[in-house]
Amino acid sequence: MQKDNAQELAQTRKTLKELLVKELSLEDINPEDIKDDEVLFVEGLGLDSLDAVEIVVLLQRNFGLEVKDLENRRDIFYSIDTLAKYIYENRKNI
Amino acid sequence: MNILGIGIVFSRGRGIDCFEKALQEGWRAPSEVEIKGKKSFAYQVDPQTISDKTLLKKMRRADKLSRMAVLAAADALNNSGIEITNKKIGIITSTAFGAHVTTFDFLNDILDHGEANVSPTTFSNSVHNAAASYVSSALDIEGPTLTVTQFFFSFHSALQLAQVWLDEKRCDYILVGAVEQYGDVLGYIYDSKLKQASDGRIRPFNFTPAYHVPGEGAVFFLVSKEDPENAYCKVEDIKIRHSREGGNPALRQAQGDNIVQADLNIIDTDGMLSDESVYMSTVSPHIPTAAYSPLFGSMMIGSAFNCTAGALMLKKQFYYANPVMDNPRGIHLINNARCANIELIRCIRYSCHSEKAAIYLRKNH
Repeated sequence: MQKDNAQELAQTRKTLKELLVKELSLEDINPEDIKDDEVLFVEGLGLDSLDAVEIVVLLQRNFGLEVKDLENRRDIFYSIDTLAKYIYENRKNI
Repeated sequence: MNILGIGIVFSRGRGIDCFEKALQEGWRAPSEVEIKGKKSFAYQVDPQTISDKTLLKKMRRADKLSRMAVLAAADALNNSGIEITNKKIGIITSTAFGAHVTTFDFLNDILDHGEANVSPTTFSNSVHNAAASYVSSALDIEGPTLTVTQFFFSFHSALQLAQVWLDEKRCDYILVGAVEQYGDVLGYIYDSKLKQASDGRIRPFNFTPAYHVPGEGAVFFLVSKEDPENAYCKVEDIKIRHSREGGNPALRQAQGDNIVQADLNIIDTDGMLSDESVYMSTVSPHIPTAAYSPLFGSMMIGSAFNCTAGALMLKKQFYYANPVMDNPRGIHLINNARCANIELIRCIRYSCHSEKAAIYLRKNH
């Protein structure tokens, strides 16, 4: 069971990286180059506030998750790891 | 005002040297496209042509329209050799359809995902001033910026505005240009309303029926009152005669229409009018005529590309041969590329209401 969960999380991280590169037009970056714990905004991957809104749209379209109160949910957007965990935990509640 | 630098992006590449090469080499077949399962043609800009990593670093979100505009504008600056730091520079972009491809993407997003889940980037790129703002941001230009979006004569209006801004000393230099993008919707509309050239060859001197092959691309001129040694030519005048003025002979005379004797008439015949026989009234047995639309395709902003050919000819004192020579009406054409003494070139475009616009380019020095 634990192995299945780990596999699902790994798959979600992989999908997220591919979606970020495609939807945010990160032309010089390969999905596999993004580290799981790399900071996504400003000093890390260099994403900005418009990218944050794009990620909200991306979560809704691809995972059926609605992120409300974006300002107070910054922790979700910290890294691929935190995003993947948010998706993993909240998809079960759909 | 004078043209100090030119930047161009079209189906055969990027840069004024590339355009000159196309003028020398002549016609080349367009690429095949499919519109609702039907085979068709278009002169499309290769994504490779607009993948300049250095310049586009700041604009990863830009769509194709904006990328073409930024590259053409940057090349116009580089081509002029002008150092722009601490100079007052304006940007005027002209277009007929603007970011219509992105606008339709945005509308499709609403249909597919609902209005709450549309991409903010797609929305921001769908506004008409997006291309001009990307130019401003990519080139660090902080002067006035404006986009002229109009179906007919948008490039002519942009040039007129540039002249006004220079006259009132609002700017030292202006990047004035035209940009248009091809897309499925435009291809479908063209195909429904106009005659597609079944062999992909625009015949500019056929007039009726007129055949089109859609094109896309961008042209930017750096214009100024300055007159350096390496300037291309002078934009002597830009005339737009609206239909309400067409029947007024006194006004026509005042505007000098058909009176100025040019050394060459470049006509914007490209199949964008279903009947282009109105151009017969402007061609002369004594003045050679040229049309270069078969090199870059049919566009409402085709005048900008033809003016680029005119500017090159004035600078080089050289006639480029017409790329397609079919000449059923026996018009006096430039049949061979050759050196020439060229003082004045007139670039002419008509609207479907027989409104006429002309840009007069004169040799410098």
